[in-house]
Amino acid sequence: MMAVPGLGKPLKKRKQEELEDVEKRAFAEVVDLEMQSEEEEEDEERGSDILSDDGEVDDFPEIDAASDSDEESEEEEDDTDDLDEEDTLEEDSDADSDLHIFPKSKVVVSDITGQKKTVYPEIEPDYDSDSSTEEDPSRTGNIPMHWYDDLPHIGYDINGKRVLRPAKGDELDKFLATVDDPTSWTTAFDKNTQMDKPLSAEELDIIRRLQAGENPDAEYDPYEPTIEWFTGKGKEEVMPISSAPEPKRRWLPSKWEKQKIMKIVRAIRQGRIVGSKPTAADKKHQFYAIWNEPPSNQPPPLPAPKPKLPTNSESYNPPEEYLPTEEERKQWENTEPEDRERDYLPQKYSALRLVPAFDKFIKQRFNRQLDLYLAPRIQRIKLNVDPNSLLPKLPSPGSLRPFPNYKSLKFTHTKARVRCLSISPDGAWVASGDESGVISLWEVNVGREVKRWTLGSKVGAIEWCPRLDVCFFVAGTEEKLHFLMPPNLSPAVLTMTQSTLAPATLPPATQSSIKWISSSGAVEEGPILVIELPGASGLPRQLTWHRKGDYLASVSSSETQGGVWMHQISRRHSQAPFTKIKGAVQMVLFHPTKPHFFVATQRYVRLYNLAEQKLLKTLMPGIQWISSMDIHPSGDHVIVGGYDRKLCWFDLELSEKPYKVLRYHTRAIRSLHFHPTYPLFASSSDDGSIQIFHARVYSDLMTDPLIVPLKILRGHDVKDGLGVLQVKWVNKQPWLVSAGADGNALVWCS
Amino acid sequence: MGRLKQKGKAGAAKAYVTRSSAVKKLQCSLADFRRLCILKGIFPREPKHKKRANKGSTAPTSFYYAKDIAYLAHEPVLNKLREHKAFAKKISRALGRGEWSTAKNLEENKPIYRLDHIVKERYPSFIDAVRDIDDALCMIFLFASLPSNPRVSPALIENCARLAAEWQLYVMHTRSLRKVFLSIKGVYYQAEVMDQIVTWLVPYQFPQNIPSDVDVRVMLTFLELYQTLLGFVFFKLYTDAGLVYPPPLDSDKDESGAGVGAFNLRPANPNTTTGGQKSDASKVSSKEVRQTIRKITAESSSAPPADIDFNQTDSFAEGAEEEFVPQASKSDFDVTSSLPTLLSLSSLPKSSSTNILAPYTFWLSRESSRSIFEFLVRSFGGRIGWPVSSGGGSPFTEDDESITHVIIDRPVAKAPEETIQERERRRRRKYVQPQWVVDCINAGKILLEDLYAQGRTLPPHLSPFGERDGAYDPTVGLADVGNTLVDDAEVSEDSQEGDVEMGSELEESATSMTALEVAAVDDPEALRAAELAAEAAGVDYGAFEKEVQKKQKQQKQQKQNQETVADGEGEDDMNKMLMSKRKRQLYERMKYGERKRATEHAKLEEKRINIEKDRRRKARTT
Repeated sequence: MMAVPGLGKPLKKRKQEELEDVEKRAFAEVVDLEMQSEEEEEDEERGSDILSDDGEVDDFPEIDAASDSDEESEEEEDDTDDLDEEDTLEEDSDADSDLHIFPKSKVVVSDITGQKKTVYPEIEPDYDSDSSTEEDPSRTGNIPMHWYDDLPHIGYDINGKRVLRPAKGDELDKFLATVDDPTSWTTAFDKNTQMDKPLSAEELDIIRRLQAGENPDAEYDPYEPTIEWFTGKGKEEVMPISSAPEPKRRWLPSKWEKQKIMKIVRAIRQGRIVGSKPTAADKKHQFYAIWNEPPSNQPPPLPAPKPKLPTNSESYNPPEEYLPTEEERKQWENTEPEDRERDYLPQKYSALRLVPAFDKFIKQRFNRQLDLYLAPRIQRIKLNVDPNSLLPKLPSPGSLRPFPNYKSLKFTHTKARVRCLSISPDGAWVASGDESGVISLWEVNVGREVKRWTLGSKVGAIEWCPRLDVCFFVAGTEEKLHFLMPPNLSPAVLTMTQSTLAPATLPPATQSSIKWISSSGAVEEGPILVIELPGASGLPRQLTWHRKGDYLASVSSSETQGGVWMHQISRRHSQAPFTKIKGAVQMVLFHPTKPHFFVATQRYVRLYNLAEQKLLKTLMPGIQWISSMDIHPSGDHVIVGGYDRKLCWFDLELSEKPYKVLRYHTRAIRSLHFHPTYPLFASSSDDGSIQIFHARVYSDLMTDPLIVPLKILRGHDVKDGLGVLQVKWVNKQPWLVSAGADGNALVWCS
Repeated sequence: MGRLKQKGKAGAAKAYVTRSSAVKKLQCSLADFRRLCILKGIFPREPKHKKRANKGSTAPTSFYYAKDIAYLAHEPVLNKLREHKAFAKKISRALGRGEWSTAKNLEENKPIYRLDHIVKERYPSFIDAVRDIDDALCMIFLFASLPSNPRVSPALIENCARLAAEWQLYVMHTRSLRKVFLSIKGVYYQAEVMDQIVTWLVPYQFPQNIPSDVDVRVMLTFLELYQTLLGFVFFKLYTDAGLVYPPPLDSDKDESGAGVGAFNLRPANPNTTTGGQKSDASKVSSKEVRQTIRKITAESSSAPPADIDFNQTDSFAEGAEEEFVPQASKSDFDVTSSLPTLLSLSSLPKSSSTNILAPYTFWLSRESSRSIFEFLVRSFGGRIGWPVSSGGGSPFTEDDESITHVIIDRPVAKAPEETIQERERRRRRKYVQPQWVVDCINAGKILLEDLYAQGRTLPPHLSPFGERDGAYDPTVGLADVGNTLVDDAEVSEDSQEGDVEMGSELEESATSMTALEVAAVDDPEALRAAELAAEAAGVDYGAFEKEVQKKQKQQKQQKQNQETVADGEGEDDMNKMLMSKRKRQLYERMKYGERKRATEHAKLEEKRINIEKDRRRKARTT
């Protein structure tokens, strides 16, 4: 198993063998060829004595080049099938040569030529000459040996007796043999006898030669001198080979060649072919005064910007404070090279001789060149201005007092978020409604709750009647409008209110789907009057009074019919002003002076003339979804807020597009309100802040309105994504009341 | 009715072409296109509306001006590149067939392009060229120091080294070097040539290898252009300075490693240039001759010829210029104001700092770089010698008596044995570190050598180019910083003293201090209470006073800060709402930059204070 693969390894042994080989050869040459074969037989006998049990002498150990190891031959049976055919061929050729694969040659001096020549021994054609099968006990011939794999014998001898398979040790024995037996590495597995046979010295030499890529014949000399047969003195061929006469072309110059050459000569004479120029002058770049002639009028191309000059931190010996701390160093190393602020880390060397080469020098030069030819260049005007000069010049908020700037008191609805509130026209009372259906009436000054109504369902809107001679407010709940009176009214006001809301003689009933129901009983406890809006109209989103306090407009949240209803108190009549309206109505507003009516749908604000019943104007704020709207007391300016955080200021005289768009809340705007007397307006948002603006409108048409941001009031918490739901100014005072989703109503004072 | 407008026929769609379409139009390979762009200085543009320029597509592409590409299409170099392509095909065919003579013939007639016209196009006037040689010089100096490899031929490196030496010679000759900066990347030099500031960076002399992520072909194309450009610029500079260009190279000296010294500047012989005139001007008067000569020299000598081996101005000094004399008006004395005339300007002390090293003779010890210091010293008028190990061509040897300074960059070592002569020599010479030379040059005067003496810790080396306005300046003394330092020092001292005095009462004092902190210092009643508490705790009154003062100061500062923050920031924030989006973004960007710079400044200052503190503490402990 170990024979052939082991061949390459032990070189020392090889040397020994070679030495022996040389001796043997010398001996063989001296004595005879037969002698050598005998000697070899002896040699093999020795080897076989050691290895084989049966002690039979094997004449010719077959080298099977295909099967390097017996394992292979056993396992890869298909391979051996193919290879065995080749083996036969080899064997045939080997059969001619006696013991050695190549017969030993002899160099003798030839009698005829007197030169040395190699003579190979004659092969005697007797019976003994074919030694390949002679000694082989098995006479099965050249068949694949695996046919006998499962049998106890390996073939039949000449007498037809079975040749038994030689005993074969197990793996351990094999291994021990490799260790114990020094000759084991020079043995090869013989397939025919199914046992390891030692290789002879000649065979080993042949293997070595084949491995080294040499000629396998040891006698072959590749460098033997050539024999000059026909050259040299006295060996010239004297007689011509052919008797044909010598052709003319051997001694006449070619006519065609001459013609060709003459053509070139003529071309050179005429100057058509010029000899190659001297190359030295070409290579030397000749410079001359290129800028001596006046430049063209074209402007030169813009020069590329120069790189920045180095600063102190780039010095080899910078002041110590420029050196990066460990943290900064780590940060620098962790950032991408493109994102780094500078392309080097400041370093300090105590002497110039210690400064090493900068490893990124070439890379940086290359980057500069990439910038030069790959980067688009833009001429940029560098602004050398103070950034503060960019801020608009506005009067300081201090000079625009009064405006609310602190929280003076807090009124808490314990149950739910405060959805809406309203302040009485005299500025004394606040009615606030929450989502659990509770309406609280409390004083602005002290925050004391005077009365509480529980309406049962969510309160959507509250609005106080603007008339001063009566005192009541309207609260909208699910499909109902409740008219409520505060307690402790002066008798004059009380009677006036009662006569307005529940007159003794009812006006003639009108045809309307809406019912006006006066509650006859205890006025103190519940609403004095209830308007039942049509079914499925939903929660009134907004209520708004005409300035004279007779008309009340309500916007319901349901989408049907626009949900806008106009209620007239004196006639106890309700009507829908629009039979059909495009878009969902968000808000409506009465113009403070003219018979105009604003309707804000999701995208647009439309202005209708109620008297003439026609559309006057459509304002386009560019807001995705309008949330709130308010009109300046002068009636010429409208502010519109949206859920997309925008606040648009419209000058109705000017355009349908906003005069100014402010976007400063971080969340949706919920409510807007102009102060009735002071030049102020407030906006509230879901970010929990209220912003107060100074908004001065000039009667002069040429002057633009002045809008100055004054104050951001923060006091409400954001709950469920909702912030301040409504803000209302207190009449005649620069005070603000706000209702928040956190269940608080806050009063802000100046 | 006007003509219908078709899409993509006008405007941005017409004015811009993408790179791939440009390549297609020029019918050249991308590599050739890149080469052309580099040579012609054509770079991509950023259209205002990418979508419009790219016919509705918003895919990321680079755009070029269509006019630029049309301009490239007429470029002779492009034709040469096409010829080269054909040549490459022919020669590969010949080589493949083994037709060596054909290949040799082809190789001899290889198409070569010249870049002269491109230089002229890109830099119509000489000043334009001089303004733009920064990058060219950097590249030349870089390649002059590179080892050669298959991509970078030795001939190229040799040419670069020659150009670099020529530039240094010119700068030395005209004394136009102004500033030098030893940075970690290399040495920055700044010279003033033809009133243009030229800055270039030279790497330290170490063998560098081109990294694998660098495209050498791009660099070589740039180098091609830069070599041509610098050749023409140097030709003009040299001829204007009255010198022969190229300066002849002394090959013996070059062999011995003389570097810059291997070239010798030779004045151009005016006779040869005006020879034709002279022959037929035999009759003209000597005055005319003088005038013509003066004209020529006026043309050619704008730089002061001050080198030793070159003085030609002597002969022309005789023609005294007439001076403008201000004629004072008799009636009105205030009106006339003398204008600076050419003569008065030239007689002004013309930046005497260019000669600051003239009185000195330097010896360069072998560990400092000769290429740097030879250039520096000679461009400021000094003489310099060096040992043979740094190359040949030193004008004097080490034992020369005229040596005043030795530039040495090694730690002080005990000299084993010195003869009396050597000791005497050592005493007479000044041993300075290399930074001294550079700092002197940047300061424009000779600095004290003691700070830079051999083996001493050097003072920091600052950039002569300055920082941007308002940046942190390390040279400003710790004026404002000083106060805080003193305060801190006092406090620390106090605390130390207190520790010593109080000893066991440490805990009590601590409580009093906390009480003090709690007490509002503004409030007189609280102050009194705190005082009582302190007294009870046994803190002496002086210490208490000090503590209170400190607290007050701190509080004041805090308050101020808060106020500024509250007033300024709040108001600004509100005002920002009314700005347009564009302005607001601009404002915010500016503010961001300001803030960043301020934090950088503050960080540096803080670091410096810490360093100073450490130093003082160390000084105190030792």
